[in-house]
Amino acid sequence: MLLQKQFFGHESVMMLSKELLYISRSNISTEINKTGSWRFLTPIYQLKSSPCTEKCPLSQDISRIEMLVSKGKFKEAIDLILLENPFPSVCGHVCFHTCETACNRKSFDEPVGIHSIERFLGNIAIAEDYKLNIPIISFNGKNIAILGAGPSGLGAAYFMRILGYNCDVFEIKKEPGGLLRWGIPAYRLPDLVLRKEILRIESLGVKIHCNSKETVDSLKKSGKYDAIFIGCGYGKPVKMGIDGEDLAIDGLEFLYKIRNGENTDIGGHVAVIGGGNSAIDVSRSLIRIGATPIIFYRRRIEDMPAFKEEVEAANVEGVEIRELTKPIRIEKDSEGLVITLNNNNTFKAQHVIKAIGNEAENHWKLLLDSKENFSKFSRTVLVNNHLPIVLGGDLVNPVKSVADAIASGKQAAMVLDSFFNHREVTNSMDIYTGGDRKNRSKHITSIEEINLDYFEFSPRRDSEIEEAKRCFNCGICNDCDNCRIFCPEISVNFKDNKRSINLDYCKGCGICITECPRNAMGLREEA
Amino acid sequence: MNFSETEDIELMHPGHVGCPGCGAVIAMRLALKAMGEKIVLVIPACCWAVVSGPHPQFALKVPLLHTAFETSGAAASGLRAALDMKGDTETTVVVWAGDGGTFDIGFQSLSGAVERNEDFIYVCYDNEAYMNTGVQRSSSTPYGGQTTTTPELQWKKTRKKNIVESLSGHRISYAATASIAFPEDLIQKFKKAMNLKGCTRFLHVFASCPTGWRIPSELSVKIARLAVQTNIFPLYEVEDGINYTINYTGNKTVKEYLKLQGRFKQLSEKDTYEIQKMVDEDFLFLSQKVKLRR
Repeated sequence: MLLQKQFFGHESVMMLSKELLYISRSNISTEINKTGSWRFLTPIYQLKSSPCTEKCPLSQDISRIEMLVSKGKFKEAIDLILLENPFPSVCGHVCFHTCETACNRKSFDEPVGIHSIERFLGNIAIAEDYKLNIPIISFNGKNIAILGAGPSGLGAAYFMRILGYNCDVFEIKKEPGGLLRWGIPAYRLPDLVLRKEILRIESLGVKIHCNSKETVDSLKKSGKYDAIFIGCGYGKPVKMGIDGEDLAIDGLEFLYKIRNGENTDIGGHVAVIGGGNSAIDVSRSLIRIGATPIIFYRRRIEDMPAFKEEVEAANVEGVEIRELTKPIRIEKDSEGLVITLNNNNTFKAQHVIKAIGNEAENHWKLLLDSKENFSKFSRTVLVNNHLPIVLGGDLVNPVKSVADAIASGKQAAMVLDSFFNHREVTNSMDIYTGGDRKNRSKHITSIEEINLDYFEFSPRRDSEIEEAKRCFNCGICNDCDNCRIFCPEISVNFKDNKRSINLDYCKGCGICITECPRNAMGLREEA
Repeated sequence: MNFSETEDIELMHPGHVGCPGCGAVIAMRLALKAMGEKIVLVIPACCWAVVSGPHPQFALKVPLLHTAFETSGAAASGLRAALDMKGDTETTVVVWAGDGGTFDIGFQSLSGAVERNEDFIYVCYDNEAYMNTGVQRSSSTPYGGQTTTTPELQWKKTRKKNIVESLSGHRISYAATASIAFPEDLIQKFKKAMNLKGCTRFLHVFASCPTGWRIPSELSVKIARLAVQTNIFPLYEVEDGINYTINYTGNKTVKEYLKLQGRFKQLSEKDTYEIQKMVDEDFLFLSQKVKLRR
C-alpha cells in the first residue's frame, strides 16, 4: 500500500480483488461540489390564478376542482366547491358558465365542460346526502336577520353561518328559493335539486321562516339582531307605458303560477313581449303547456340580453322570435287581443305576456337613495344608521344572474364580518379566511404560458372524469412530476407529498419551468 | 407520467459538473432508473467521462470503467467475459458512449462486438458533435449544423450517419431510438433492452446540448421533443434488423426545430426546404420498412 501511495499520491488506489491492480478508483461522491453557486436564476413553485376562476362570480377554484375530479377525488372536489358556493347542483343547472368563455382550452379545441362537471358533483352530493366537511367557525353570539330567501339571502345566510353568526331568514312566500323556486321553470332546475341544497344550508343551523310578515322596521324594533341583510330582489314589473298594458299578464306571475302548480288557462297564440331570460323562460314554458308563443323584441335577435344557449334552445323548440318589433297598443276584440306594432301591422293573439323585466319596489329604492352612512361595494351596499344593513342580490348587483346573486350574498357576509372584525373583502371565502389560496399569485395564466406539448387535441367527452382530464389546470400543480422527472441536477426533492428545490445543487437551467405544463412554477432572479 | 416504485430510485449524485440543462445527464438519470443498480458501465472518452466526476469524486452509484475512445465495444466484451468467468450472470454490462465514440472513433469495436453478438447493452447518447473537447463536428452532426470545425458558411453539408440503420445491417437483435423528452418511452425501451439477455442491444438516445447547439438551457427538453415531433429524430425500434416499429409520428415542420437553435441560424429558406425534403424522404423510407415486418 505504501508503494502505491507514493506512486499515485492518493489513497484512492485500492484493491479491486485479491490481486493488486494498478487502477485508480474514486471513493467520494460529487456532492461536495455545491453547484448551486453556478446559478443566476432560481426556480420557485409559484401557483397562479386561472382565467375561469377569475371569471366565476363565486371565485370557485375551478382548475383545482377539475384536477381532483380527474383523479376521482369527488369528495375533496365537492368540499372545494362548497367552500365557495352552497349551490353546486343549482349552478350546474342554471349558471351560464362565464368560466367556460374564459377557458384557455377554447383556442386549443373546445372549452372544458365546467358546468356539467359542477352539476355532476352537485348531484353526487345530493344523491349521497353528502355531509359538509368545511371549516365552520363556532357561534360568536351575533345574530343576523336576512330578508328574502332567494339565492342572495340563502347565500348570505350560508356564509354568515360559516363565519360564526346565527342567521334567521325571513321569506314572504310559502317556500324558500326566491327566483330559483318561482321564476325558473322546472325543466331547467328540478325541484328536488333546489330543495336538497336548501336543506343542506338549514343543516348548518340556519333557520328559514316562511310566510313571514317581517319588515326592516319590525326587525329593527325587535332589537334581537346585530345586523340585517336585505336580498328581496326585483318584485315590481317594469311598465311599458302603452295603451291597454293592463290586458297583458306579467311574466313572473305566469311563471309563479306554473311553478305553483296552478292552472293558467292559457292557450292558442300567445304574444311574449321582451328579450331577456324571463321572456325565453315564459315562451319555453308556454310550449310545454301546449300554447304557441311568439316573442316580440324591439331590437335584433343578437342584441337579446337572454343567454345565447337559451335562445337557441327556444328556437329548437319552435319559438318564433320577431325582432325589431315593439307593441304600441293592446286592444280587446271579440276573438281575443289585438296588438298594434310599431310598424303599424297588427297581430292577433289569445293572450299577451310581458316579460320586459322587473325593478325594485319603491321602499328599497328610498333606502338606496338615503346616501347617508352609505358604503358601496362591487355587489353590495352597506347602510349603517345605528344598525348595519347590507343590501344585496338584484337590488344592487350590476349583473343579474343566479351566480352573481349568490356571490352578492357571499360578499354581504364578508362585508358584515369585516364590519365587526376588520378583514379585507375578497371574492373567495378561502382567501378571506386565510386558506391556501391566499398564497397564490394573482397572475392569471394565459394560453401562451401553457406547455401545449403535454395536451392532445380532444373534443368534449361524455364521462366527467375524462372531461376533467382535459382541463389544463392552469396555474396549479397536479402532481405530474415533470419538474422532478427532467431535473438534470437531481435537485427536486419529493417528501411528504410536497416538492422542494435543493438550492445547494440547482444550477438554474430552467427546464422545470419550461416543462411545467401548467405554469405552476416561476423564476426568481438571484440576488 | 409518474415514476413507478422501482423507478423511483436515484442512482446519481448531485454536484456533477455537467452544463446547466445537459440532456446527456437527463438521459443517464432516466436510464439508470430503468436499469437499476445491477449494472457495470463502460464509458469511453466523451462528455460523460467528465461529468461522472474528476478523480476521486464520482457522480454515480453504479460501478463504471473508463476506457479509451475507440475501445468501448471491445472493453465491454472483455468485461462481460470476466464477469462470466466469475460466475456473475446477473450483472449487465452497459456501454455509455457519446456520438463521437460510437459513430466515428469507436465504430470498429462496436461493429465487431455486434457481429460477434456480445452480451451487453450499448447506449449512444447523441449530442451531435464532440462537445466536451469544444464542439467539433462528428459524423453525427446533422446537415446544416455549425460546429467549431464547420463554422459559419462552412456549415456541415453532408448528412448525419444513420447509426441504427448501420447496426440493423449487422442484424442486431434489438436497436431502438429514444429521446429525453419522452421519458416513458425511454424507460420502457431500456427495460426491454435489460430483459433481452444474451445478445447485443443498441439504444440511440437523443440528448440535447445547450452549450454546443447554442440554445437556452431551459429549452433543452423542448428542443429534444421538437426533434421527434418534426420526424428529424423519429422514435422507432428494430428487432433482428428487420422488424421495424415506429413509436411516434410527428407532424411539425423542421423549421420549428431549426429556428430555435444557434447552430442552424445561418440556414436560408432554401436550405430549410432542402432539410425538410431529406427528413420527409427518410421518414417515408422508414415507414416503408415498417411494412416489411415479418
